[in-house]
Amino acid sequence: MHKEAAIREPLVLGHKTFHDVTNDVCQPIEGKAPRMWYILFTIAAIIGLYGVGCILYLLGTGIGVWGLNKTVGWAWDITNFVWWVGIGHAGTLISAVLLLFRQKWRMAINRSAEAMTIFAVFMAGLFPLIHMGRLWMGYWVLPLPNQFGPLWVNFNSPLLWDVFAISTYLSVSLVFWYIGLIPDFATLRDRVKNPLSKRMYSLLSFGWSGRAKQWNRFELVSLVLAGIATPLVFSVHSIVSFDFATSVIPGWHTTIFPPYFVAGAVFSGFAMVQTLMLIMRKAFKLEAYIHTKHVEYMNIVIMVTGSIVGVAYITELFISWYSGVEYESYAFINRFSGPYAWAYWSMMTCNVFSPQLMWFKKLRRSLLFTFIISIVVNIGMWFERFVIIVTSIHRDYLPSSWSMFYPTAIDIGIYIGTIGLFFVFFLLFARFFPVLPIAEMKTILKTSGESYKNETESKH
Amino acid sequence: MSMFENNKGVENMSANQDYFETRVDMSAEPISVDEFLADEETRESSTNRRDFLKFLGFSVAAATIAACEAPVTKAIPYLVKPEDITLGKANWYASNYYDGNTFASIMVKTREGRPIHIKGNKEFGFGAGAISPEVAASVLSLYDGERLTAPLVKGAESKWSDADTAIIKALNSIKDKGGKVALVSNSIISPTTQIIIGEFAEKFGNVEHIQYDAVSYSALRSANEKSFGKAAIPSYDFSKAEAIVSVGADFLNGWLLSNIYRAQYATNRKPENGNMSKHFQFEANMSIAGANADVRGMFKPSQYASVLAAIAEGVGAGSIPGVSAGDAKNSKEVQQAVAALKAAKGKSLVVCGENNEALQIITNKINHYLGNYSTTINLNDAVNLFQSQDAALNTLVNNVIKGTGVDGVIFFGANPVYSHPKGKAFGEALGKLDLSVSFASWNDETAAKCQYVCPDHHALEAWNDHNPVASIYALAQPTIKPIHNTASAQESLLVWMGNANRSGRESTVYYNRIRQVWEQYGYPASTGFASFEDFWNVSVHNGNTTPEVIVQEAPVFAADLAGLAAALPKFDGGVELVMYTKTSIGVGTQAGNPWLQEMSDPISKITWDNYITMNYKEAQDAGYNVVMDQEHGATLAKITVNGVSLELPVIPTPGQTKGTVGVALGYGRGENGERIGKGAFKTKEYGGYEEQDGKRVAIGQNAFKFVSIANGALSFSGSAKIEKLSGTYPIASTQFQLTAMGRASIVKETTLESFLNDDEVGYNLPHKLMTHHGPEAVSKFDLWKSHPVEHIGHRWALSIDLSSCIGCGTCLIACQSENNVPVVGKDEVRRGREMAWLRLDRYYKSEDELAIGTKKEDFSFTRLEKNIDENPTVVFMPMLCQHCNHAPCETVCPVAATTHSNEGLNQMTYNRCIGTRYCANNCPYKVRRFNWFNYPSYKKFTEINPSQDDLARMVLNPDVTVRTRGVMEKCSLCVQKIQEGKLKAKVESRPVVDGDVSVACADACPTNAITMGDWNDTGSAVRKASAEKRAYQALEEVGIKPNIWYQVKVRNHDNNELRERQKAVAEKRRHDEARFADHGHEDNHEGGH
Repeated sequence: MHKEAAIREPLVLGHKTFHDVTNDVCQPIEGKAPRMWYILFTIAAIIGLYGVGCILYLLGTGIGVWGLNKTVGWAWDITNFVWWVGIGHAGTLISAVLLLFRQKWRMAINRSAEAMTIFAVFMAGLFPLIHMGRLWMGYWVLPLPNQFGPLWVNFNSPLLWDVFAISTYLSVSLVFWYIGLIPDFATLRDRVKNPLSKRMYSLLSFGWSGRAKQWNRFELVSLVLAGIATPLVFSVHSIVSFDFATSVIPGWHTTIFPPYFVAGAVFSGFAMVQTLMLIMRKAFKLEAYIHTKHVEYMNIVIMVTGSIVGVAYITELFISWYSGVEYESYAFINRFSGPYAWAYWSMMTCNVFSPQLMWFKKLRRSLLFTFIISIVVNIGMWFERFVIIVTSIHRDYLPSSWSMFYPTAIDIGIYIGTIGLFFVFFLLFARFFPVLPIAEMKTILKTSGESYKNETESKH
Repeated sequence: MSMFENNKGVENMSANQDYFETRVDMSAEPISVDEFLADEETRESSTNRRDFLKFLGFSVAAATIAACEAPVTKAIPYLVKPEDITLGKANWYASNYYDGNTFASIMVKTREGRPIHIKGNKEFGFGAGAISPEVAASVLSLYDGERLTAPLVKGAESKWSDADTAIIKALNSIKDKGGKVALVSNSIISPTTQIIIGEFAEKFGNVEHIQYDAVSYSALRSANEKSFGKAAIPSYDFSKAEAIVSVGADFLNGWLLSNIYRAQYATNRKPENGNMSKHFQFEANMSIAGANADVRGMFKPSQYASVLAAIAEGVGAGSIPGVSAGDAKNSKEVQQAVAALKAAKGKSLVVCGENNEALQIITNKINHYLGNYSTTINLNDAVNLFQSQDAALNTLVNNVIKGTGVDGVIFFGANPVYSHPKGKAFGEALGKLDLSVSFASWNDETAAKCQYVCPDHHALEAWNDHNPVASIYALAQPTIKPIHNTASAQESLLVWMGNANRSGRESTVYYNRIRQVWEQYGYPASTGFASFEDFWNVSVHNGNTTPEVIVQEAPVFAADLAGLAAALPKFDGGVELVMYTKTSIGVGTQAGNPWLQEMSDPISKITWDNYITMNYKEAQDAGYNVVMDQEHGATLAKITVNGVSLELPVIPTPGQTKGTVGVALGYGRGENGERIGKGAFKTKEYGGYEEQDGKRVAIGQNAFKFVSIANGALSFSGSAKIEKLSGTYPIASTQFQLTAMGRASIVKETTLESFLNDDEVGYNLPHKLMTHHGPEAVSKFDLWKSHPVEHIGHRWALSIDLSSCIGCGTCLIACQSENNVPVVGKDEVRRGREMAWLRLDRYYKSEDELAIGTKKEDFSFTRLEKNIDENPTVVFMPMLCQHCNHAPCETVCPVAATTHSNEGLNQMTYNRCIGTRYCANNCPYKVRRFNWFNYPSYKKFTEINPSQDDLARMVLNPDVTVRTRGVMEKCSLCVQKIQEGKLKAKVESRPVVDGDVSVACADACPTNAITMGDWNDTGSAVRKASAEKRAYQALEEVGIKPNIWYQVKVRNHDNNELRERQKAVAEKRRHDEARFADHGHEDNHEGGH
């Protein structure tokens, strides 16, 4: 059996038995939902429905209901898209990359992080769809055999690459997540009393019986999927960044974008995981499974990726000056001193300065501080995308076309609406799906559980 | 019966009457579409089983069709094809345009019998067929849904016979009692109309014909009478003037025959000829002429006299008694002007814009002394426009208000209730008269106060003749049958005299009369025609007679200078107001025309409003808002002149003389909600008109209220008081940025001296990359595979001469008209969503630049952006799709909706577009326009967009798709015209040559600044232009290989600092290149070993 050094902090606190693990995860699903859940769900649903209303108005009337203009053709729509895709990065990174690196601490968070990923990608996918002037013709971006003669998609366009990248990412993440859920659905199927729930979980669990052969295949599939998903973590945001990097617009046309976007995505994704996890461990009383050590690990990732992003920002500034390109230099001068300087400095404060506080062990182990920073980081990352998109195109080559972007109520409504929808999905997930991977948790219980560790320790 | 059936078999070939009759009978069978389309009321029979099946079938079909994207709702084919109309083929007719202010020789394009586009008659027309935005836009006014459709009697629509009877009765009773009738018209330049009016006056005895122009030049006439004994406006020839000095005259926009002067002016502004005219402008407002001037001096109107006096003294014409040359004498600009005038003696021209006799006499004196009357000014070839009798009209206005001395008034082309300073009182008093008649096409301010409105045809519906200047007679021919139940005013006069009968829309009364007059007077005076018919046909074909040569002769200057000082304009020492006309709205004749309302002013770039222009620094110091955009409006101010106040937004304007403000005339039309056109009123954010007391709210304010009457002449400048108000006002501007930010590859400018003597690398630095092979042009490098357009087939290209472009904006309207560009209204323009395919970028010089696009050694971006020169130079740059051969838009479209044609065009496939807007973001020129809403149907645009109006829709060019919501659009380089030109050449079995293919903007340009052609044709003008020393491509270094070349702006001024810098740049570049070339050579050499 795998042994773990005693000086390593345990991953499961207290004395938990296998049965405890099952109970702790399943009980919130089997019992009645707390009042708080209903309140939160109602709020999220109202906000989400408002967003849906705004989307319907947009589709019925035209893109003009947004604040875009002849100069700024993308603003909140694509900002939100990139932001949500970024958030959607943590889940797969945690489950795939950390799986390959055998980071056991990932087990406490991977299930909900993956769920978050999927919902975030849903939200992200919404924006490229609704930002189209003619959504009803949107299927033309798919290379479908068609009756239009030789007319096909344009494989030169990064937007097309986006279509492939996002859809691949979504499908692989979804499969990966679902495969992991199968044994846990089976556990629920075996426990629930309500015949309807039993029927549902039974369907969802695909007839899992827990035989050794199944476990063997389960492990294998997980590993294969992790292998497939790992490059996706890097490819998706690289490709998203190509939307900008392959253009001719100063401030967009930057070769540093792919690694910088990936780091930024992990950064914001982890921050979002932190936000959700800190709430969930309290609400579902999972303090034993998700505790300070987990938070600290994640904070370290946030700190590192935050620093990468910071270096990227500074590199951009340096290169814009070093390149000697007039337009490029001005694009960056405009960023930090132009009419959108407030957005630039918000971004700098939130993304570069605030994560540096994580160098202090006390702060990175403080749950309250972590919670605040996790929100700050996501605000910062939204601004980063806004800064890249809007401050680059609002003043590009010809000063005659320079303009400003002012969001309308619909811009705001749709953005807030997607946050509402995201939480609707997430709350439903938390209510009906096992939020921790029961089976996987059990694999580390005996090695990394506090009481077992102590036992082994005392035996020596 | 389908049209295919008719093509069937031999019976068609030997078709006899019987055959067609059977056919007709068959089509008359009762199973027709009408039956199931009919209204509930009109459908008599009850629904039977077969009908039910038909309904069912129709509903299914309708539902299916409705599910498709754009159902064709109406398609009316010709049953019998008119002989001269071929579907899909345009017919062009020569005609002439005259609206009381502008005269232009035009070509009218008609499609299937409807006029859809107007361009200049460059081949035969008067003044090289130069037109203006108003002329080009008048085709839309033809289809204005608010034009009167029938005569009005006391405000109610009625029959012509009723109106005629009542008017004849009233005229006779006035005649019987010995009363007086006044016929108030604009300046009549039609010989036939003058004859008819003469006869009318004779018939009814006491008839006074008063000619009245809203913007009057009466003082110019009277000054000429005093100076030379001839109350005439001479013909000016700006093309012959080597030195031009204008004191407050915007001769490139609004002043006299400015559209003609534009063409003349430009012919002498081509640096390739080795010389250019030198143009000095002394003025208060930043005018179009001022923006083009080589040297511009800022003066207040009160200083114009001393400027003229200083010039008179300087050139040696002597001092003007009582008029001090004052400070103007010390002005550097005035001194330069004096020197230039002296050098160009006999080939110069001095003009003054003030309607003041004394100033005009001084101007005459200078011109006379310089000997210009035998070269640039022709007093014998008098201009017949602008006959305004200000004094007579003032008397009439006072009489009508008093209620004495006049019993009836007939208005013909004049709208004094709107444009006269006492218009309001005059309008109210009109009701007291025995008779008031208006010939207005709209129920305008004056017409609304009249008992009878007898609507005249639109100019495009009627025959007319014109005698704009003494040397030329012109004919206007109708290009469409009258749309409404209107009649030409001349016919009405003839009918009232009892000399003609009404014969409806087909009436030839006035036509016959014109022919008669031309036969009687014109034909005998002409030579070289076999018959009158021959003479007439040639005149109609050309649009005018061959101009007569009228010899200039130097007149004797006889004016007494002694009393002039007393007759100068008076100012009270406060802020001075200068009224001007915009190149779009003019005096407001077509205020209801949405194209003109939405055309952005070349200087201020503002649409849909008039405003106070104020010196930039002064406004800034006084706390007016100088940074304006979508959310930040302009500060409002109250401006008071002679006790009349208006509230207007203040626009800080670089180049405005300190202590002066400008306000555009022609706005505030329809103040009482009169039906003067759909586009004349403010609309709300979600559509519908803004309303106040149940009336629509006019756009802008009527500055004619500020016009004063001094020495019997209308004066368009005066003293004003400005009071800052706390509120702001939303401004719809298409450009907020003032400078070009010192960017060197957008606008390039140099001096004439530099151009003639120095290395072109200095002012037209080519973008090169220093490679190991030596310096190489950017165009040598490709990331993508080249489109095979460079030496195969056609490659359409444009050359735009920034030196010739004077910024009149005629191209903007021409483009809009040719390409069905939607009108989006003030709110959308404010949001930065104007749809113009072609725009006119305007850049002011910053203090941190030597010339626009050339940064000083020590500059900062913040200063560049904000510190506009006190008296900046201005460059206009027409900006449109550059049809890049490596278009950044093409690579990013996910669905290949924008692609490259094998003729070098960047083409937009609307049907394929899904509207990601990625192409627009990636366009370095920002020329792509997105359909944010469904402009042809969304309620927000009902009032303004012609495509939402059944009548106005007739103006749409059937060759160009009306774009739907959610798709991108942009300049297509008039691909439909290219196709037409290619087909023409093909039919004639010859290669396409210059002139076969053109674009609407180039056709419209009065200065021929735009040249279009096939770049692959080595003999084409555009190919040659692209190889000129001045040719460059905007943003060439981005590597996108545009198909549009610009020509460096050349200004004829002394800018030594700029010249030295450009010399140094050239030297450095030559040196660098030599160094890199050597180095590169060595590298190659080493590589060889």
